[in-house]
Amino acid sequence: MTLQTTLQQIYDLPLSNAIRENVNAFPLLESLHVLAITLVFGTILIVDLRLVGYASHRRSTNRLITELLPFTWVAFGLAIISGGLLFASNAMAYAANTEFRLKLLMIAAAGINMAIFHVSTQRTIDQWDEDATPPFAARAAGVLSLLLWTAVIFLGRWIGFTLDVLF
Amino acid sequence: MFVQSFGDWLYATPISSTFRVTTWIIPTVQSIHILAIAVVVGSALVSELRLASVLANDEPAGNVVRRYLPWLWRALVVLLLSGVVLIVAEPARTLGNTVFWAKMALVLFAFAATVLLRRPLLREDAPPAAKAISWLLLAVWIAVIFCGRFIAYT
Repeated sequence: MTLQTTLQQIYDLPLSNAIRENVNAFPLLESLHVLAITLVFGTILIVDLRLVGYASHRRSTNRLITELLPFTWVAFGLAIISGGLLFASNAMAYAANTEFRLKLLMIAAAGINMAIFHVSTQRTIDQWDEDATPPFAARAAGVLSLLLWTAVIFLGRWIGFTLDVLF
Repeated sequence: MFVQSFGDWLYATPISSTFRVTTWIIPTVQSIHILAIAVVVGSALVSELRLASVLANDEPAGNVVRRYLPWLWRALVVLLLSGVVLIVAEPARTLGNTVFWAKMALVLFAFAATVLLRRPLLREDAPPAAKAISWLLLAVWIAVIFCGRFIAYT
């Protein structure tokens, strides 16, 4: 089974067809996707800026992370579901789109950046939790995260201008 | 109609056609517009949920709100400026569009409600029912996002 036949099968799903045929489905899914990404970016921004050294409503970085991360994850889940449905409605075109591929790459990079922070820098958070300026590794993770998520938003918007619309 | 002729005049201006012909301008400005609405959503989420006593209740509400309000205003300025560029580039898409005017009304409402009600909501003797206003404002920002995307389809 090649990638092309899998993409074709996704495209042929009754659900994908329903999204193509209902004129309101695509804009509604897009709106949910934008809402989700603004929640993801908005909450990550507050955490990343705290890591870089800008004050948030919490002195403790760890408390801020545990308080906002559930919102980020729920919003990310909504972004995956709405994005997955948008993808399914036009699977071959998205898979062939350069900006779409780059966007997935940037999301993966942002995930790896977060995982590295979690297993290394965050381990020592007790030592710098309430410092106004966290250590270099934490600041670097914050800056990198902001750059990657900004790139995700730019690439996402660019898909709308470069995608071959097949329906 | 005045709006129609103004839109036609705007469309014919050299700056409008420059924005359209330079292909990277509209996607770039739209991306900046989305980044700015993300800042609004982030600031509004934490502030309104604190006012609704859902989040960070051990921090004084005034501290939380004061921390994020400047970000909300800065983001709204960026939204206004990037939005103006998008209107200049494609006047017919926006000025003649009911969804666009609904969006403007909602933004104006959220802005006015934030300015006028923030202080009374922070008072110790604010009635519990006032918390409903925080939920309403969050709903309005979500409606603004939906209107923003639907402008492209109406």
